[in-house]
Amino acid sequence: MRPSPQASDTAVTTPDPRPRAGDDQPTAPSVLSAPIVQLLGIGKRFGAVRACEDVSLRVQAGEIHGLLGENGAGKSTLMKILLGLVVPDTGRILLRGEPATITDPSAAAAHGISMVHQHFSLVDRLSVWENVVLGDRGRVDRDRARTLVREVGRRYGLEVDPDACVEDLSTGQRQRVEIVKCLRRDPGVLILDEPTSVLTLEESRELFTVLRRVVADEGKAVILISHKLDEIVHATDRVTIMRQGRVVARRATADTDVRSLAREMVGRELSKWTAASAVGALDALIEPGTGEPTGGTALLDVREPAAAPAPDPRPPAGEVRLRISDAHASTTDRRPLLRGLTLEVRAGEILGLAGVEGNGQAALGDLLSSLLPLSAGRVEVCGAPVVAGRPGAMHAAGVGIVPEDRHVSGCVLDMSVAENLVLADLSSVTSKGLLSRRRMAARARQLIEEFEIATPSPDTPMRQLSGGNQQKVVLARELAAQPKVLVAAQPTRGLDIGAIEYMTERLHAAARSGIAVLLLSTELGEILTLSHRVAVIHRGAVVGEMDRADVDTERLGLLMGGQAA
Amino acid sequence: MTPTLISERAPAVAAPPADPRRRPRLADLGTPLLYAASLSTALVLAGLLIALVGQSPWDAASAMYDGSLADGAAIGQSIDQAAPLLLVAIGSVIAARAGIFNIGQEGQLLVGASVGAAIALFTPGPGPLVLILALLGAAVGGALWAAIAALLFYWRGVAVVISTLLLIFVANQAVSYAVNSPSLLREKAVAGQVTTSQTDMLAESVWLPRIGEYPDFNIGAGIFIALVLAVGTSVVLVRSRLGFRVRMLGLNPKAAHRAGVGAVLIGGGALLASGAFAGLAGGVMLTGSGHRMQDGFADNVGFDGLLVALVARDKPMLAVPVALFFGALRAGGGFLSATGVPRYIVAVVTALLVLATVFPAAYAEVRRRRTAGA
Ligand SMILES: Nc1ncnc2c1ncn2[C@@H]1O[C@H](COP(=O)(O)OP(=O)(O)OP(=O)(O)O)[C@@H](O)[C@H]1O
Ligand SMILES: [Mg+2]
Repeated sequence: MRPSPQASDTAVTTPDPRPRAGDDQPTAPSVLSAPIVQLLGIGKRFGAVRACEDVSLRVQAGEIHGLLGENGAGKSTLMKILLGLVVPDTGRILLRGEPATITDPSAAAAHGISMVHQHFSLVDRLSVWENVVLGDRGRVDRDRARTLVREVGRRYGLEVDPDACVEDLSTGQRQRVEIVKCLRRDPGVLILDEPTSVLTLEESRELFTVLRRVVADEGKAVILISHKLDEIVHATDRVTIMRQGRVVARRATADTDVRSLAREMVGRELSKWTAASAVGALDALIEPGTGEPTGGTALLDVREPAAAPAPDPRPPAGEVRLRISDAHASTTDRRPLLRGLTLEVRAGEILGLAGVEGNGQAALGDLLSSLLPLSAGRVEVCGAPVVAGRPGAMHAAGVGIVPEDRHVSGCVLDMSVAENLVLADLSSVTSKGLLSRRRMAARARQLIEEFEIATPSPDTPMRQLSGGNQQKVVLARELAAQPKVLVAAQPTRGLDIGAIEYMTERLHAAARSGIAVLLLSTELGEILTLSHRVAVIHRGAVVGEMDRADVDTERLGLLMGGQAA
Repeated sequence: MTPTLISERAPAVAAPPADPRRRPRLADLGTPLLYAASLSTALVLAGLLIALVGQSPWDAASAMYDGSLADGAAIGQSIDQAAPLLLVAIGSVIAARAGIFNIGQEGQLLVGASVGAAIALFTPGPGPLVLILALLGAAVGGALWAAIAALLFYWRGVAVVISTLLLIFVANQAVSYAVNSPSLLREKAVAGQVTTSQTDMLAESVWLPRIGEYPDFNIGAGIFIALVLAVGTSVVLVRSRLGFRVRMLGLNPKAAHRAGVGAVLIGGGALLASGAFAGLAGGVMLTGSGHRMQDGFADNVGFDGLLVALVARDKPMLAVPVALFFGALRAGGGFLSATGVPRYIVAVVTALLVLATVFPAAYAEVRRRRTAGA
């Protein structure tokens, strides 16, 4: 069949989780039993690290296959092997039952395998359509490419302006471009490596609703890597769970639930609040401590919240640590980024800044990273004004930040893990202008252990860490620095749920120790789990504020949508 | 098939994030083999060229050897040639590590040498002091010449690659003017002699000291200056806080900015430092071997030094052996032209050999960039 535009339009309105057990998708007639992709006994070592060990994976035509596992479990590596980016040490690949050797991504593309990578690989200075056709051979047909971007976008609910410059796009929009870039090739096997960590819930729902239909109708397959367990439960047919490079479980999604998936992945039970935020179940978070969670959140009674860290009772208000008043800023081509943003964060509290992606969160992050100068307004840290945009000014004033995109300003990929763990705080490891290797290594070893960063050694280049472990490095550095103000933008992006649990605890501990924490997140669940106070950002300004205890989602939703309430 | 999605021939995949372990096919040869292959190609081509102009390739080869390695004097020549190359290379390394591509060393070297010459010629005082002043002045001259590019970049956004390159031509003209103007650096007329466009010979007291005995093994002090600076630079880059900041700026300017590394201060500083090293190289050439400025003084040392840095992959200590090799090539080439092979053929032959050594490194770099993705 050919899904018409109308078909996908209806899909937008009904993003319901398919009630499914047994109504297994009929496989496309042409491929009866041979799996579309079969990896057999794949092994890959990087030096002493076993990224994959005797991994076998079967993906049938017509299914969405989930690949689960902790940070550093080897998921991305396994997929890079299938894509020809990494050469396996052992093992075979069968495509539709035929042995295949995939030596590079163009060979994979010839087999119809295409991948959306965990980290963006877009060219900032080019427009969206240029990025999408980048790498094509032959003549470039501009109009056709633009139409293509629009059509693919409409079909999968990933609309994005083909003429926009990637530089100007928000993280979520960039992610859409990456996915469109892949989808337009109409791949037979589509690999998605954490594609939704920056998409909204609705976007990812819509994407998977359409994907599911296309996959079933056309006998294609999708392999989905995600740390969002509810997404896995809703979107996939079968899951394969990896731990430390090995497959530890294979399940039909219908026979499992978030809770047991989490257990199998991590190998232990998780606290209720972590699980709640991991699956993004709002209801459970709205009324803390009022007995049974409602509706579909029954799966959350993982462990009674005896030790549940959140939400602490509102701490006694400390002094104002960060004050931003009437901040205005715009891009070099005069598009406004911040329009009179005003904000206060007090010592000892976590202020959650909720809002739809692309409403100035990135600019606020840049402002507090000294990367964005203001055209009007001021920033004060502990009462003292700070010059916005001057190199290192925010850091010197005591503002620590976990930036939204770790690769942009959060780390230096070609430096070692130990070096990345100091980066701005050189004073603690320098004497007389010389760095002390010993102190740097000692500090690194301590943080690596404390934050369970999976790395062969402190001297490993940051680039070689798995996505989640890179994020842990950034978090570890910023939390360990004991700043006066800690800004955490999407702090749990790419983390597995065990790590999310730990980070949740650490952020609370930070607040308890008197740090003023500003949490920027597009995931309401995360905000509600962590914050004492919630503010809403819309079009570059804070449009509303409320105590955590007074939150009602309806009002939040209205505010986020820009309607004063 | 859906109408929305085109399905053409297998589309090439845009530069994917690569695994560093994945080797491209040509490089599967392995680095040593690649070097061997490109060097022998260059040798064959060079031999053909020399045969073409009616000389014997064998004689040429042995002349190259005689000029660079055969005896103490030749080895000393090679080392002397290596000193300014190494200095230029260290400077290039510093700039490159900060993410700045200074390719105007040739000009910075010339300007530095002229400033050094002016000081050495016109400053009264004890020889050693004037020598030190001249070398420092040369470094400052080179730095100031690079400062023009820094200014253009940080103030107006003119790409450093372009401004430094163009400033070479400006430097050529300016220095040529200086050595042609009797009121500036042109040699003073002695009754009964015509002057040419060159400076006076420096007083012997401001020459760089030499070690060893003529005509056996003897070398100028330049190489020691260069070695000390190479070690120092290496330590600073790897071990010091300043070096950490320079590297951070080169590897991720945004992260560096947040951490308080100002691009203007540190980046501009690195560009000036690389100019200073080129200028110092000019000073060493002036006080160490030529002892006077004349047309063609720079003699491609600036460009060759840049190549040394490229082959050494921006590692100061690796630049030492590479500079020695390049120095030997230059010394051998000089000897070859003395045996009657036309100068332009000598230039082509040395260029071929240089290319042969640069090729593997450049090839690896291009591959790395291509596969590293965005
Ligand atoms: N190029 C490389 N060189 C060395 N080690 C590597 C390289 N790529 C991956 N590794 C290591 O292999 C292991 C598996 O990494 P991989 O990226 O596959 O994890 P992952 O399951 O995708 O984790 P995450 O959820 O954090 O993205 C990690 O320990 C990582 O450090
Ligand atoms: Mg990964």
